[in-house]
Amino acid sequence: MFEMFEYDFMQRAFIAGIIIAILASISGTFIVLKRYSLIGETLAHSALLGVAIGLVAEYNPLWMAVIFALFSAWLIEYLRSAFSIYSDAILAILLSGSLALAIIIVSLGGAFNNSLFSYLFGSILSVSSEDIIVISIFGVISLVTLLLFSKEFYFIAYDEEVAKTSGIKVNLLNFLLVSVVAVIIALSIRVVGSLLISALMIIPTISALQFRVGFLKTVIFSLIIALFSVMAGMTISFYFSLPSGATIVMCVLFIFIISLITNRR
Amino acid sequence: MKFSVPIFDVKNLSFIVKEQTILSNISFEIFSAEYIAIIGPNGGGKTTLIRMLLGLEKPTSGEIRIYGKKLSDFKEWHKIGYVSQRASHVDNSFPATVLDIVSMGRTSQRKLFSPLSQDDKELVRDAMQKMDIEDLAHKMIGTLSGGQRQRVMIARALASKPEILILDEPNTGVDIASQKKFYTLLSKLNKEDGITIVFITHDIGVIVDDIARLFTINQKAIICNNPKQTLSCEEMSSLYGIDAHLLHNHKHEH
Ligand SMILES: Nc1ncnc2c1ncn2[C@@H]1O[C@H](COP(=O)(O)OP(=O)(O)O)[C@@H](O)[C@H]1O
Ligand SMILES: [Mg+2]
Repeated sequence: MFEMFEYDFMQRAFIAGIIIAILASISGTFIVLKRYSLIGETLAHSALLGVAIGLVAEYNPLWMAVIFALFSAWLIEYLRSAFSIYSDAILAILLSGSLALAIIIVSLGGAFNNSLFSYLFGSILSVSSEDIIVISIFGVISLVTLLLFSKEFYFIAYDEEVAKTSGIKVNLLNFLLVSVVAVIIALSIRVVGSLLISALMIIPTISALQFRVGFLKTVIFSLIIALFSVMAGMTISFYFSLPSGATIVMCVLFIFIISLITNRR
Repeated sequence: MKFSVPIFDVKNLSFIVKEQTILSNISFEIFSAEYIAIIGPNGGGKTTLIRMLLGLEKPTSGEIRIYGKKLSDFKEWHKIGYVSQRASHVDNSFPATVLDIVSMGRTSQRKLFSPLSQDDKELVRDAMQKMDIEDLAHKMIGTLSGGQRQRVMIARALASKPEILILDEPNTGVDIASQKKFYTLLSKLNKEDGITIVFITHDIGVIVDDIARLFTINQKAIICNNPKQTLSCEEMSSLYGIDAHLLHNHKHEH
C-alpha cells in the first residue's frame, strides 16, 4: 500500500495535495456560504490562461497562473461593483474569454500537448520541488489570512449589509477573500487541474452542510472530507494511472452522495 | 434632553430613483433614550429611510449626522444595532448555532488577530440572557421558530453594546403571544438599559402605550410627539393612508 511513497514524485504530490485540500476546503466554505461558488470556475480558467502563457513564453506556469488568477479576481470585483446587476454574466464572460485566449495562445505556440493536459485534469507526476516551495509559501500566507479574518468572512457570508453596518470593512475583506481564493486555485491546478479544482472547493462544504452543524464543525467536516478525497484520489490515480484531478473529484462526489443519504430527512 | 447632541440629526433628506420620489424632504432628530415607532404603508419608504441612516443607501439630497458627525466620518458603528427586515429569514441550512450568530455581534470590536476574549464571551452571554435565549445557545438557527429567531437577531445586535437599536419590521411572521413578549422585552431594554429604540412596525395598536414618538412615513414624514393624546396625529396618519382606527380603537379600550 505504501510503496507509492518510495517515489519522490508521489511524496511531492501528497505534500502539495494536503496543502491544497486544507486551503480549498476552508476558503470554499466562505465562497459557498456567500453564494459565490461560480467564481472558482472562472478563476481556474484565468489561471489556465496564465499557464498557457507560461508554457509558450517559458516562464514558470505556476507563477503565471497565480498572477493571472489574481488579476482576474480583481477585475471581477471591480466589474461587480461597477455593474452590480450583471455579476453572474461577468463570471461567464471572463471564464470563456480566458479559456478562448488560452487555447489560441497554446495553439499558436505549439504547446498543445501532454503538459497542457496535465494542467487541465491534474497530474501527480508533474509536481516539482520548485512547485512545492511556491505552494508552501503562498499556502501559508493564504491560510493565515483565512484564519485571521475567518470571523469577519463568516459574518459577511451570513449578512453582508448587517456586517457593514456593524463596522466591518466589507469591501476590503471581499477583495481580500477573492484574492486568497485566486491564489489557492492557481496553486491547485498542478494536482487537481483547472477544470476540476472548483469541485474540490465546493463539494466538501456542500457535503458538510448536510450534517446541519455549527460553523466550526462545518469547516472541520469539510476539511476532513477534502483531505480524505485528495489522499484517496491520489492513491487511486497512482495505482490506475489516471489523472489525479478526476480521481479526487470522483472521491469527493462519492462522499457527497453518502452525506446526502445519511442525512436524508 | 434637547441640549444634548442627537444620535441622528436628519435634515431635508430626499431619495429619488429613476425620477420617482421615494422620500421627500424629511427632517427629524432622534435623541438618546427615546422610544420611537415608525409606521406607514408598504412601499412608503420606511426601509429606505433606515438604510440611509445606516449608510447603506446614499440620499439624493439632504444631510445625515450621527452623534454630530457626518456619516462618512462616523466610525463607532458598534454603537448602532441594526436588525434588518429580512434578518429572520435566514437560510435554513446556514451553518450557524444561536451562539455563532450572537457572537457575530462582537466581531467588529474584537482586536485584530485575536479570538473572542473572556469579556466578549460575557457580553454575548449577557445579550442572550436579556433576550431569554440562553437555552437555545447550541441549537441550529434553522430549527428555531419565528419568535425565537427574532430574539436571536436582537441578541446579536445587543452583543455589541449598542446605544441605539434600529429594528425593521422585526415582528413579521411572529405569532401574537411572542409579539407581546417581544414588546415587553423591547420596552425593558429602553427603560432599564437606556437603549434608544427605533422600530418599524405594522401593529401600532399593541405598543402605543410605551412609545414616546410616532413617525409616519409615506414619501413625506409626519412626526407625532405625543401619540397617546394628540388626536391630530391620528388624522394626519389617516391622511397618509395609515390604518388609523387601530390607534383609535386602542384609546377606547382604556
Ligand atoms: N435602490 C432603489 N432602487 C429602486 N427603487 C428603490 C430603491 N430603494 C427603494 N426603492 C423603492 O422605494 C419604495 C419604498 O420601499 P421601502 O423603503 O422598502 O418601503 P417600506 O419599507 O416602507 O415598505 C419601493 O417602491 C422600492 O421599490
Ligand atoms: Mg420595509
